[in-house]
Amino acid sequence: MDVSRWISRASMRLRALFRGAALDAELDEELGFHLEQLIEEKIARGLSPDAARREAILAIGGLEQRKEECRDARRVRVIEDVFQDVRYAARTLSRSPGFTIAALLTLALGIGATVAMFTVVYGVLLRPLPFPDPDRLFLVALSPKSFLMRQPGMADRTYVQFRESDRSFQHLAAFTWYKGNLTGAGDPVVIRVGSVTTEFFDALAVKPAMGRTFLPGDGRGGERMVVMSDQLWRSRFAADPAIVGKDLTLNRLRHSVIGVMPPGFDFPNRTAAWTPHEIVIDPGNSLLVPVLGRLDPDVTVAQARAAFEAAIESVPDVPRDDRSQWDIGLLPLKELLVGDVRRPLQMFAGAVVFVLLIACANVANLLLARASGRDREIAIRAALGASRARLVRQLLTESVLLSVIGAALGVLLAHWAVPLLLALAPAGRIPRGEMIRIDVAVVAFAAGVAAIAGIVFGLTPALRLTRRRFSRTLLPGGRSIAGGHERFRAALVIGEIALALVLLTGAGLLAKSFLRLRAVDPGFRTENVVRLSIELPDSTYSTPGRLQTFHQEMLSRLASLPGVVAVGAVNWLPLGDMHLNGDFRVEGAGEDAPFNVDKTVASPGYFRAMGIRLLQGREFDMHDTGTGPPVVIVSRSVARAIDPSGNVLGKRIGLWGRENSREWLTVVGVVDDVRQLGPSQKSHAAAYQPYLQMSRNLFLSNMTYVVRTVSDPLAAIPAIRNVLSSVDKDQPAASIGLMRDVLDSATAEPGFYARLLGTFAALAVLLALIGAYGVVAYSVAQRSHEIGLRRALGAQDRGILWMVIRRVVSLGAAGVVLGAIIAWLASRLLETFLFEVTPTDPATFIAVALTVFAAAVLAGVIPARRAARVDPLVALRHE
Amino acid sequence: MSRPTDLVQGTLDLLLLKILALEPLHGWAIGQRLRQVSGNVLQVSDGSLYPALHKLENEGWIQAEWKPTENNRRAKFYSLTRAGRRQLESETANWDRLSSAITQVVRIEEA
Repeated sequence: MDVSRWISRASMRLRALFRGAALDAELDEELGFHLEQLIEEKIARGLSPDAARREAILAIGGLEQRKEECRDARRVRVIEDVFQDVRYAARTLSRSPGFTIAALLTLALGIGATVAMFTVVYGVLLRPLPFPDPDRLFLVALSPKSFLMRQPGMADRTYVQFRESDRSFQHLAAFTWYKGNLTGAGDPVVIRVGSVTTEFFDALAVKPAMGRTFLPGDGRGGERMVVMSDQLWRSRFAADPAIVGKDLTLNRLRHSVIGVMPPGFDFPNRTAAWTPHEIVIDPGNSLLVPVLGRLDPDVTVAQARAAFEAAIESVPDVPRDDRSQWDIGLLPLKELLVGDVRRPLQMFAGAVVFVLLIACANVANLLLARASGRDREIAIRAALGASRARLVRQLLTESVLLSVIGAALGVLLAHWAVPLLLALAPAGRIPRGEMIRIDVAVVAFAAGVAAIAGIVFGLTPALRLTRRRFSRTLLPGGRSIAGGHERFRAALVIGEIALALVLLTGAGLLAKSFLRLRAVDPGFRTENVVRLSIELPDSTYSTPGRLQTFHQEMLSRLASLPGVVAVGAVNWLPLGDMHLNGDFRVEGAGEDAPFNVDKTVASPGYFRAMGIRLLQGREFDMHDTGTGPPVVIVSRSVARAIDPSGNVLGKRIGLWGRENSREWLTVVGVVDDVRQLGPSQKSHAAAYQPYLQMSRNLFLSNMTYVVRTVSDPLAAIPAIRNVLSSVDKDQPAASIGLMRDVLDSATAEPGFYARLLGTFAALAVLLALIGAYGVVAYSVAQRSHEIGLRRALGAQDRGILWMVIRRVVSLGAAGVVLGAIIAWLASRLLETFLFEVTPTDPATFIAVALTVFAAAVLAGVIPARRAARVDPLVALRHE
Repeated sequence: MSRPTDLVQGTLDLLLLKILALEPLHGWAIGQRLRQVSGNVLQVSDGSLYPALHKLENEGWIQAEWKPTENNRRAKFYSLTRAGRRQLESETANWDRLSSAITQVVRIEEA
């Protein structure tokens, strides 16, 4: 094509696009001129001016349609039409504000909930880790799934072997973390310290902002070094630019600072400092540690998987067939952080899609209701030369415009809802919180949802509306045809009710499970109890004697505080994050019946302070020391195992394992069982030993003091803190707070899930009810003529009322039955979240079904009453 | 007067270009001229003339200008552009080939 023609065409298009009105005026003039010529010609042939004019217009075949064809020739129709449609849609929508506001609110709620949920799901599950080539990073897992170790890991011994033989990974690092006492930098504080092998930073491919990270061999020679996070450097060391080479005191030991990491780096999970981890293999024990590796650039994931499978052939204890109870293989590194929130997040993402679908169905319903009133408008537009595709496009523009505005409002809503959601979630349970934000990806998602939603809820009404035979609509006195969409709209409402019922059933199951959980007797009483946990470093407290002296001092000073009723100490606090268990044997019962118990250490007064019931015998007292006879207090289920008749006092048991000396302990008391691992876990059998009879640091360096007060326990916290610093001013509290909060946080997660799903369900039910109300109210309005006629013929109020309510009842019943079937099939997905409630719990199903049904009927009563009040005269005059 | 023959699809463009190649004309006059030069055989319906003209204009083959007519009315006069002239040549060549081919087929003696 030559240039001049191209330029002339381009200028035509531009003119068409921006000077469309001028072109239209020219077109009018041109066709007008033609028409005049035609009329003149016909008059010259002897026709009257009127007849000439009529014939001319017929000949030109409908002026307006010709104009449309001429406009089509301009080739900018698509763009021009979009502008025109948007303008037109905006005008139409603003002319029916009631409809528009209802639709926008519905959409804002539906899309807002979806966007908020997506923001969280995207931040936690989908956003890539902030490391170079994050998809080349894997967790190498070979560990049994367990409650205590939430992350997949690998025995340290196996890690060392695997690292030797492996050829797939550039770097393989093992790491773990511990709480460290940081002193000499402001008040003593507990920080999270990553204990990492020297490959750690190379595997993640992060460079320090200052100084260096670990080199092979670091940490082996006994010199202590530390890499710190930017956050720690700023908050505790005033961003000292000369920090590298200085010292930092961690657990009372001087560590030389060798580097500072760039801002934002705190892997894994809010780590403030990293020390080199040296693996010391203990022939009898192994430590499970997470292992991460960066794949070699030349190795594919499949090759690495195959090599890993070959490498673990020789590892003992690895199950060969059933791996369901193990984590085995190469998992994405993100799994370390998100592993156990994936299921709940997926559940909520699913729930929110339900809400969105209901919102779409509602808007589709509203559009259909309005559509019936627009028959004439559409028919006129068609008669004026609009093609069906053109009409559908224009109607879709309207629905997409609605959904785009709805999405904008939804994003705004999500902007507030996301922080609220995170604030409601139990502390620390939503990982990667820093990744959760509303950004381009989220807005793009919202736009996508809006476009899809707009088409989903707009297409059916648009197609149905333009399918009509227009001629009938335009006949004089022609009634717009109302009944046509009824069945479709009823189907929409039934679907909405069904989806809402599914969500409400899920929420009901979770709520019931949560209440069951809250009603569990944990075996101890939490009211008025403060707990203070400490971890004493081996460096200062190197012998059992020093540890015991510290605890004795603490206990006696705590006991003398005013308002304190009882004081005790325990090493593994119920619902805490650590415990230790092992076998015990009964004297004289032979070797054949080992029984697993929690091996716990407690002080005199512990059971009283914690409110654990003493069932037989006595508590520990001041005579249970290293010089006295070794004693033990057992829990109820241990007592039953020793002697079903309950006669256990004075019997002797052995708790020996690797940690205990082989001596017999005399049972001096029996206490109640405690739910050690949480209210949803079964009670644990426990054997308690007095702390003054323990001879290993392992049992003494972690201790929690339990202080029961007369009144407000919160008021006692400052005094309790003071006791700690008066005993050792450099010893920070690992944690301090109310025992009640420990119990609450153990049920916080299920509570949060129940509330969140409950919120979605409430939203869904509300939307579905609005939908049901809309359909019934509309059908009443459409049938007012018929109702008036019935009344004129003598129908009673009750009869009319019943006629309308019957319709609601049938809609509601259909929705409830359909929903119950879906819920029945889907609720097993909830099984892992339920405690003492079956996924098909009949009571919940029935209660929810009745609630939804009753609500649906209620939604129909208002329009029914209106129908009963229809004045026959008014109704018959109508139209 | 017999009914004017309907135009073969696609030949309208060629005819319009040819007529405008002779002299610039407004829409009405184009219709008149077409009828006149074809001896009342060809007639473009009033309804399809303008869309066709607008299409040609958008293709850049003809251009339009507002000018007074002989009775001093304002009318839109179309004229051929350089590209239009080339287009006319190639369409004429096409038409020649096509029409002679059709003629040959039609004149085959039936055996």
